[in-house]
Amino acid sequence: MASTTADLPAASRGINLRKPESQWGIVLRRFRRHRLAMISLFVLVLIFVASLLAPILAPFPRDATGLAPRFSAPLTANSQTGALHILGVDHVGRDFFTRLLYAARITLSVAFSVATAATLVGMTLGALAGYFRGIVDSIVMRVLEFMASIPDFPILLIIASILITDPKLLPYPPFLLNLVGNLMLLNTVGIERAQVLTMIVVLTLFGWTGAARLMRGMVLSVRERDFIESARSLGANNARIILRHVVPNAFPPLVVAYTLSLAGALTAETALSFLGVGITDPTPTWGNMLQFATNFMLTNPWVPLIPGIPVVLCSLGFNFIGDGLRDALDPRLKM
Amino acid sequence: MLNYLIRRFAVIVTMAFVISFVSFALLYAAPGGPLEQLASMQSTTRRPDPDEVERIMKRYDLDLDIGIRFLRWLIGHPRGSIVIGGQEISPNLQVGCLKPGRAQLVYPDGRIEEINCAKPVYLRDLDGRPVSNGVIMLDFGRSQQLAREQPVSQLINTRLGPTLLLMGLSTFLAIAIAIPIGVYSAVKQYSRFDYFFTTLAFFGSGMPTLFTGVMGILIFALIFKDLGLPYLPAGLATSNRDVAIPVFGLIRAGTVPDRIWHLILPVSVLTFFSLAGWTRFIRSSMLEVLRQDYVRTARAKGLIERVVIMKHALRNALIPFVTLLAGVLPSLFGGAIITESVFSWPGIGKLFINSLTASDYPVAIAYLLISTFLTLVGFLVSDVLYTIVDPRIRMS
Repeated sequence: MASTTADLPAASRGINLRKPESQWGIVLRRFRRHRLAMISLFVLVLIFVASLLAPILAPFPRDATGLAPRFSAPLTANSQTGALHILGVDHVGRDFFTRLLYAARITLSVAFSVATAATLVGMTLGALAGYFRGIVDSIVMRVLEFMASIPDFPILLIIASILITDPKLLPYPPFLLNLVGNLMLLNTVGIERAQVLTMIVVLTLFGWTGAARLMRGMVLSVRERDFIESARSLGANNARIILRHVVPNAFPPLVVAYTLSLAGALTAETALSFLGVGITDPTPTWGNMLQFATNFMLTNPWVPLIPGIPVVLCSLGFNFIGDGLRDALDPRLKM
Repeated sequence: MLNYLIRRFAVIVTMAFVISFVSFALLYAAPGGPLEQLASMQSTTRRPDPDEVERIMKRYDLDLDIGIRFLRWLIGHPRGSIVIGGQEISPNLQVGCLKPGRAQLVYPDGRIEEINCAKPVYLRDLDGRPVSNGVIMLDFGRSQQLAREQPVSQLINTRLGPTLLLMGLSTFLAIAIAIPIGVYSAVKQYSRFDYFFTTLAFFGSGMPTLFTGVMGILIFALIFKDLGLPYLPAGLATSNRDVAIPVFGLIRAGTVPDRIWHLILPVSVLTFFSLAGWTRFIRSSMLEVLRQDYVRTARAKGLIERVVIMKHALRNALIPFVTLLAGVLPSLFGGAIITESVFSWPGIGKLFINSLTASDYPVAIAYLLISTFLTLVGFLVSDVLYTIVDPRIRMS
């Protein structure tokens, strides 16, 4: 074959010989075609950057109260400094825009931490269960079955309410508290850092099952294939086989699941904080801002829009990106 | 078949036991019980009255060992000294401690041992102490905070009606609307109709009910009222007094129109949310079936398209639907926690949230146990139904 093409230089000059596209190039091209996913990506990057720059962009300190009369309308100027309250102030006179930025930082960090931790834990357990079978598999499967039969939202609420009412129940190492505190710009006094960390732990506790199930299924379908056999006969050890041969094969559905679990973690955190068993005031999150907003909605109807719109943008955004990735990574799965 | 059912039933019983153990552990770990409340009430002025503390400890079995407490919670026993054939057996068995760590034992060699109980509780002391019939008999004890001393089952009973109404109606509507849309989308795949509804479904499932609920109230209750349009109520299941709304006139409090008026918004929010999932499910299931050989055969033998779709395709497409119905059973009971909170709907989901914020854990645990049990039953029912609607699948 090679010699025949070499014998026909004239013909090949006429044909536009392009460098074959790489796997990721194809994925990227397909993803770009998904209009809603691209818009979502743009919006999410915008929100993400704004939350990263929170201390620079925020015109007021996070918890400073009494900056202006309660529920001053958007775009009123502060009487002392003249700085603009872009979105107005809340029920105790704190600047909405400032709190929205800090809340974005907390909510998004919680979502990313939970999704990452849950996916890693789920991947590890699922891969171990699928690869080694036997006792590991049956333990993991029993736990998965057990968790599937408990309605997850109620038990999540109960555990969150127990742990968050008393965050001292879980002793956290100080470095972890400092890490979370510095990342999300939390107060170092009080229970704020422990509370946010507890939220991450609790959501992770209930979030890993999907990834584990997925990974286990992928490993089971891959482990009997010939290329695993040949890798083993070439002397690869278990760790190498799992990391270099099994995981990459399971990668596409995991990426999609990861994106969707970002949306799940975000809505779960928002719901918990909204229902009053999550992160509580004065730590701002979109959920607890929404809770206060609904209390004062009858007199100040614009207020629920302030935390509500970012929540829905992020939730929809992650969903659309997940959908775009699904189409791009594996067109067979296209809905 | 019988073998299979027995095996499944055994699994359910084991599961129920494990879950009741977990629930009890949660109940045990839960902070803010009646004792802490007493302490917080009295700490500012004086120390808690010791008699009062003892009374409360006795009332809630807080003085007993955890094993005995679990037994009494689970099966309602032991209720006192055990009598077999007129003979009391071990009435002096220590089962708990009312007041810890005061007495000291001083040994001759100078060693001091703390006896960790100043007021031990013996089995015979349990005679006549109030006890529930046990979780096994569906007696979840009494509420501690929300409605003092009212049985939990009674609290749940009063809330069951509104939740069943809300969830039943929205589930029914969602399914009734989803089937035609899903089928039509699949038959006309990639048509404009299909694109519109798949996108709409995506929005529906991506938007949290929290947001749609609040926006619904904002638009239909507040803005419509300001504009003088016929508006909807912002919450609750019935009005407290008669309301006059534009166009429709007076709505009397507590009448059927009043109830319907209150149902519209929460039912719409829930229907919109679950509609998305159902539509996508039916569409993909239908697409799967339309590719099958027997559908081609049906077309080839000249059946009209309507018969092919409705009789040959749809019936088979609805088979996997049965598994989804398993999830409906617990949700009919449990309600939609977020939607009920947003609309202050007096249902079970709202009761659950109230019990959590008031630290009334017996109520919360009862909710958890009942939902879990219904989930397990739902799994079983859907598996059995599956074999009925699809003879290719056998139970084993």
